[in-house]
Amino acid sequence: MVLTRLRSDIATRKSGKSFSLYIVNNIHTNTSLVSYLTSDSCFLSVIPNCQFRSKTLRLKTFTANQLDEIKDPSGLFYILPFQKGYLVNWDVQRKVWDHLFGKEMFKVDFADTSVVITEPYFNFMSIQESMNEILFEEYQFQAALRINAGSLSAHRYFQENNSELCCIVVDSGFSFTHIAPYCRGRKMKDGICRINVGGKLLTNHLKEIISYRQLHVMDETHVINQVKEDVCYVSQDFYNDMEIAQLKGEENMVMRDYVLPDFSSIKKGFCKPREEMNFTGKYKTGEQILRLNNERFAVPEMLFHPSDIGIQEMGIPEALVNSINKMPEEMQPHFYKNIVLTGGNALFPGFRDRVYKEVRALAPAEFQVSVVLPQNPICYAWEGGKLLAENPDFEEMVVTREDYEENGHCIYEKFDI
Amino acid sequence: MVSVLRSQDPSQRRVLDSATRQRRLTRQLEALEKDNFQDDPHASLPQLVKRLPQFDENNESGKRRKKTRGDHFKQRFRKNFQALLEEEELSVSEGPNYLTACAEPSTLPQRHFCAVCGFPSNYTCVSCGARYCCVRCLGTHHETRCLKWTV
Repeated sequence: MVLTRLRSDIATRKSGKSFSLYIVNNIHTNTSLVSYLTSDSCFLSVIPNCQFRSKTLRLKTFTANQLDEIKDPSGLFYILPFQKGYLVNWDVQRKVWDHLFGKEMFKVDFADTSVVITEPYFNFMSIQESMNEILFEEYQFQAALRINAGSLSAHRYFQENNSELCCIVVDSGFSFTHIAPYCRGRKMKDGICRINVGGKLLTNHLKEIISYRQLHVMDETHVINQVKEDVCYVSQDFYNDMEIAQLKGEENMVMRDYVLPDFSSIKKGFCKPREEMNFTGKYKTGEQILRLNNERFAVPEMLFHPSDIGIQEMGIPEALVNSINKMPEEMQPHFYKNIVLTGGNALFPGFRDRVYKEVRALAPAEFQVSVVLPQNPICYAWEGGKLLAENPDFEEMVVTREDYEENGHCIYEKFDI
Repeated sequence: MVSVLRSQDPSQRRVLDSATRQRRLTRQLEALEKDNFQDDPHASLPQLVKRLPQFDENNESGKRRKKTRGDHFKQRFRKNFQALLEEEELSVSEGPNYLTACAEPSTLPQRHFCAVCGFPSNYTCVSCGARYCCVRCLGTHHETRCLKWTV
């Protein structure tokens, strides 16, 4: 869990309206970025958006950030409210929200609070209706804004680059990857493209190949997720790296050993540095070691070539070019100049350079190509949400509880998800 | 080595047809979508006695209202993803929607990797269609995975 304190001078809200407190609640499928903005401070918490059950602690189900209380996260059982990126299990989601908004976490005063919540593109109507009902009737928020995460990222990008008119946002997350073009702050629905490859698929694939080649780890989602984040990278020259990985001994620059945690002496797994690696023979210490070779770059390669494991879809660079080609011709050069990478998968080392290289190869030579990777790709959309909450136009964009009670579900048209 | 040769005897080998191979592939891809590969550790425990609700002095009426809403929700909003997708297919609306937004198949040819070691492969197992790169990997494949479970 990451806690970042941002001291910001948010001007106290205009007179008359009593809602001076906002929650920017960016629920991506696996983590939830929640912050409670008040007039003098703003905390950002990155919290897992699910429940956990442990084999050892039989009686309790852990919610969201209670993950830190679990001493032995081996064989952790996940209960996710999302399926394929869309919210289906409201029971679990409500339990997570009860915990977040309740006494132990943020202690939200609902009558005085507006909420900004993100949804995936083309969210189903029944989910949107349920969301409205739950936000207004069960939690009774003062006002709510439902928006796409990419729109918040685009808003943040345009804030920094005032002169640009168009940008294209690549949001590569847990369940899938979305590519969405934005022009003058509005999303272009014809160009939105969804690739069904996300962090979950990468972790599950890594678990399968490790289980087949080395050690049975199918139950250890949490541990292998950590392995993926520590050790995997995106290669710039795939076939060359494959050849290097086939060399033996010290010449193999790709191979790494990863020490698995045993939760008594080693709390968290780590990658052994090259100097300590033993290329011939076995290790003397009692640690459990995973030897990772071509898996290091073959797993993130699935983002660029989903056909490697049989998913017949385009990879990220191809889909980007495809999406831009659906746009009107005069806008295309502007899109190529403003490609923004967000989402957890953008954190792989080498991701940005690889996307640039492939898009540069596929784009027409006369266009300028520029790919931007923000400093914190996971929180980029949240930062956009924070800027939006401070925007003077914010009050026109939200739907208040009175509106909802008068007009019912027709208000969803205002949101245009 | 002898066992490998014997299993390649034409009369004993079973060859899967392309429909079965496609089904196996779809099964494997669906397995990658799962959240958990183990069973719920709480599934076999007896149901705990539900604790009595703790009434909060301030918000009693609000909370009671919430409880009835909660049951109502449970009846209505327990659709799984498949049901939502079918609903979406039925409500045919103009313009882009969830189904049209899916990425198209790639224009580049598919690359193949050995099922055993992960390096680029040139050869296919005759029986089940899995890829391998060298004879040693073929041996491992025959011993461990080939036709070891039915579709």
